[in-house]
Amino acid sequence: MSIKVDPNLVKDLEHFGLKDAKKCFHCGNCTAVCPLSTAENSFPRRFHKYIQMGLTEKIMKSPEPWLCYYCGDCSTTCPRGADPGETMMVMRRWLTSKYDWTGFSRKFYTSEIFEIVAVTIVGILVGLALILFRAGHPDMEHAFLNTVWPAPAIEIADLIMAAVLTFFLLSNTARCAWFVMGDLLFKIPPALYLAKAQELVIHFFTQKRFGQCTDRKQWIIHLLIMTGYSTIFLMVVVFLAGGIHVIGLSWKPIMFQRDVVGDYAIWHPMRLFGYYATAALLYATTYAIIGRLRKSKAPYQNSHGTDWMFLILLELTTLTGILINFTRLLDWPMPTYVLYVVHLMIAVPMLILEVPFAKWAHLTFRPVVLFLTAVKEEYMKEKKMFA
Amino acid sequence: MEKKLAAYICSGCGIGDALNIEELVALTTGDLKVPVCRTHANLCSQEGAALIKQDIEKEGANALIIAACSPRVMYDVFNFENCIVDRVNLREQVAWSQPAGDENTQMMAADYLRMSAAKVGAMDLPVPYKPEKEMSKTILVVGGGLAGMTSAVEASKAGYQVVLVEKEPELGGFQKKVGQIATFPYKDVVENPLNDLIKEVTSSPKIKVYTGAKVEKTVGGPGVFEVSIKQNGTTAQENIGAIVLAAGWQPYDPTKLDKKLGFGASPNVITNTMFEERYLKGKVSRPSDGQGVSKAAFLQCAGSRDPQYLPYCSTVCCNTSLKQALKIKAENPEADVYVIFKEMRTPGQAEDLYRKAQEEGVIFIRCQSPEVKVEGGKVAVEALDELLGETVSLDGLDLVVLATGMVPVTAFGPDISKEVKQEEKTEDKKEEELLVPPDIIRRSEILNLEYRQGPEVPALKYDFPDSHFICFPYETRRTGIYAAGCSHRPMGIGSTKEDGAGAAMKAIQCIELTWRGAAVHPRAGDLTFPEFAMQRCTQCKRCTVECPFGAINEDEKANPLPQPTRCRRCGVCMGACPERIISFKNYSVGMIGNMIKAIEVPAEEDEKPRIVVLACENDAYPALDMAGLRRMNYAPWYRVIPLRCLGSMNLVWIADSLSKGIDGILLLGCKHGDDYQCHFIKGSELSSIRLSKVSETLNRLALESDRVRFEMVSIIDYEKLPALLNEFAEKLQEIGPNPFKGW
Repeated sequence: MSIKVDPNLVKDLEHFGLKDAKKCFHCGNCTAVCPLSTAENSFPRRFHKYIQMGLTEKIMKSPEPWLCYYCGDCSTTCPRGADPGETMMVMRRWLTSKYDWTGFSRKFYTSEIFEIVAVTIVGILVGLALILFRAGHPDMEHAFLNTVWPAPAIEIADLIMAAVLTFFLLSNTARCAWFVMGDLLFKIPPALYLAKAQELVIHFFTQKRFGQCTDRKQWIIHLLIMTGYSTIFLMVVVFLAGGIHVIGLSWKPIMFQRDVVGDYAIWHPMRLFGYYATAALLYATTYAIIGRLRKSKAPYQNSHGTDWMFLILLELTTLTGILINFTRLLDWPMPTYVLYVVHLMIAVPMLILEVPFAKWAHLTFRPVVLFLTAVKEEYMKEKKMFA
Repeated sequence: MEKKLAAYICSGCGIGDALNIEELVALTTGDLKVPVCRTHANLCSQEGAALIKQDIEKEGANALIIAACSPRVMYDVFNFENCIVDRVNLREQVAWSQPAGDENTQMMAADYLRMSAAKVGAMDLPVPYKPEKEMSKTILVVGGGLAGMTSAVEASKAGYQVVLVEKEPELGGFQKKVGQIATFPYKDVVENPLNDLIKEVTSSPKIKVYTGAKVEKTVGGPGVFEVSIKQNGTTAQENIGAIVLAAGWQPYDPTKLDKKLGFGASPNVITNTMFEERYLKGKVSRPSDGQGVSKAAFLQCAGSRDPQYLPYCSTVCCNTSLKQALKIKAENPEADVYVIFKEMRTPGQAEDLYRKAQEEGVIFIRCQSPEVKVEGGKVAVEALDELLGETVSLDGLDLVVLATGMVPVTAFGPDISKEVKQEEKTEDKKEEELLVPPDIIRRSEILNLEYRQGPEVPALKYDFPDSHFICFPYETRRTGIYAAGCSHRPMGIGSTKEDGAGAAMKAIQCIELTWRGAAVHPRAGDLTFPEFAMQRCTQCKRCTVECPFGAINEDEKANPLPQPTRCRRCGVCMGACPERIISFKNYSVGMIGNMIKAIEVPAEEDEKPRIVVLACENDAYPALDMAGLRRMNYAPWYRVIPLRCLGSMNLVWIADSLSKGIDGILLLGCKHGDDYQCHFIKGSELSSIRLSKVSETLNRLALESDRVRFEMVSIIDYEKLPALLNEFAEKLQEIGPNPFKGW
């Protein structure tokens, strides 16, 4: 079967941040220098060809964009300035929008105005909701958050949000799996999936492949953001009221949203986890922002609108979180309540919009694709053995 | 001229340590009867040179033997006007390549002095050649295209009169058909500035333009060319000094292409040159119905770099396709434009043009063998994309452009070497004794030379009249005729302009040197020329046939008619002549013979063999010097005689050597064949052919043919030389001494 060329793909990808891929003349230095590229899954060179020729189908089926962690070695090595690392990044953005069946992701990625408006609207809605649905008699003497927004109530909102996000994210992830695996997805026996399940977990928590890149600093920064965020997410969503309060599975001594900060001793795990998460996020996010401002290394050379939006929202969430901590320590009721609203007006849109539809979505796409690739390799090996 | 000999022996640079200088002085003033012999510790210093000058002025010394370093160095110091000078290479080839203080080293130096005395005795001061006819300084430029016009303008700016002949009614050549050009610095496609150049040519008072004209006949040689130019039925005569051949090229005939490229199957399949002509003034359109083009493909190397069609790369087709692709993109940015290539070749800054095409969205597909499919008026291309490993099909193409290559105009017309063969068949077969490979000369009707060897300049490769492109730029194999532009080799606009200027410069050099009676190239400035003792000529034609430069014409009785201004002074004719009637004032069969005879051959029981090396002075001799420079030692039995070209080797020298008791002869010549390094193109090859005849001579003398060996040595082979020399010496020792010793 011969191939049809589609010159329009390049134009489409340009909306996702593609700039220099046309400059590639296929020398293959990028693929040669990439520590993660293998004979079975070779990249990035191949993808420049796909892009230049407009081979949409081939890219859709490829796991390789998710096998790349963007250390930037390829872009540094490229003799033509074709920036292969950024090309891989662009493909991840484009694939995220392809996996998303709602079409929201595409709009979010291709229009900065849409992106800003969406974030603003969700933020305002969150703010309005918090103002409307607050307890009748807030304590104006002391900064006691639970008197305005009791933890169990917020927890219910959290859980509803988590359910919605999970639905979108998992449905998109299922599409991702279907695109990457095709018919094989159901041909491979479930036992094989089970046998490789640890891959999924390991990649999710450690991103150990990132450690194989030459620039390990990027891995560490990524790990800090990932672990910092996961910690705080768990504390806010699961332990806000000390567990899942609605079904009675809660334990007060580990409740996150308390009225008095000094309730817990300094060594209390909740405090230690909180400080770790804050420090990790603050350091890593600031590092990334400064890096992108200074264009200090290849992965920071080109910043798409969604890259900025993600970092700014994350940094602001962290900063407002720290501030709330201070106002509570100082026991200033009004600033605490105002900051709480602002904090959520930033954090919630970030989660709602970015987790299923944008940058955050890679939290499932990448480990799932890595897992599926391992499963597929195993399957092919066995097939070869029996053949 | 009465010779007053004087000899000078330098003891510097280790010569004094290696040799007993007093003994050498005693030999010179004694046996060699040189009245004056002086030594100096540093002969090339001011005092050393002053010492020689003093003798020239006070004693009237005019034949100088300078025994010091190699003649390849200090030639400016030891250059004395109106004096015969011979340099004895005691440094590189004796002191530096032989053990110091050894008896054999001393004998070698002594022999070199004897040989020099013999040589100086046979040499005369050269008398520059002056043709009877008055010489012209006018430059003829054949071809009024970009190369020719540039050449004409450059020559006229240098103050020379130019005659420009163009066969078309208008100046401009192929560039006349080109609207936009892409050339240095290749940032963008620009309007063709050709008309400015045409104006410059037509308005120059120094350039006489013949358009719609043809060179009907070219007679003579550099300085004295008589050129008949036919225009409108009348013939004009011009006296010309030198010629620039810039007759241009023809596009490769697309009807000869492989059918799968689809030429002729649809009007929408055209060539790159058709593209230029068709869209010179207007927009690119579909040839079949004049509609706009929204999908086009360029197929590179259409017939090019394929031994079955055009074996070489024309260097410009890739750039041309990029330019044409950019034109389509500029007119319709939405158009899909594909370039299907084997290898994109955008040398130098032309890479920027490729980048621009990439930027504009031209799609490049690497494929060795694309196929054009025409069905019901629809054109499609199928190409196996090597980078993808899959076949790509491009349907619904409005235009397919085949990038065909350039064929020089010198490639057309029958090859005369084939005609000669037929003639020869009827004649006595024995005539064709020497298997000299014939030159390819086609009757392309460009210069119509009245030369014995053929009417046009010979081709080097692929019918381009070139010489070795590094050593001899612009040189055709006819002195005074310089090729420029695409009849020289395929090239783009930038190179063509440079080429035009370069060829003009070579033509000027040629004229100026010819006016001084000097050789042009590569022995630039040499004032000698071959003289023929015609009364002894047997009309054997060997000189006229073998001259690599076609310098010798022939009268109807087969008498050679030498044209000294065409001559490059290689001496190939001297080597060819069985009657030994050809000689130069300072280079002759007798002179080399005397040098061989001057070598002292020790008696058999001394076990000191003697081996003569006849070495090409352009490559082999410097290689020997380099070996010395590296202090590489070799057997002391060798006596080296430099030759202008190994092609000037006359077989009689081998007979002379062997009959004198010399044990072996080693001929060191340049590489010949496809990547020849010979300064005189065929000299080394000719000498090896002659040598194949030598076994006869050896048999007559009851000698082993192993005693004579031919080796190809290039200048960089100096490292292998000592091993080669030692091995040959051992071989000769095995064979045993020459039985003619002591006769």
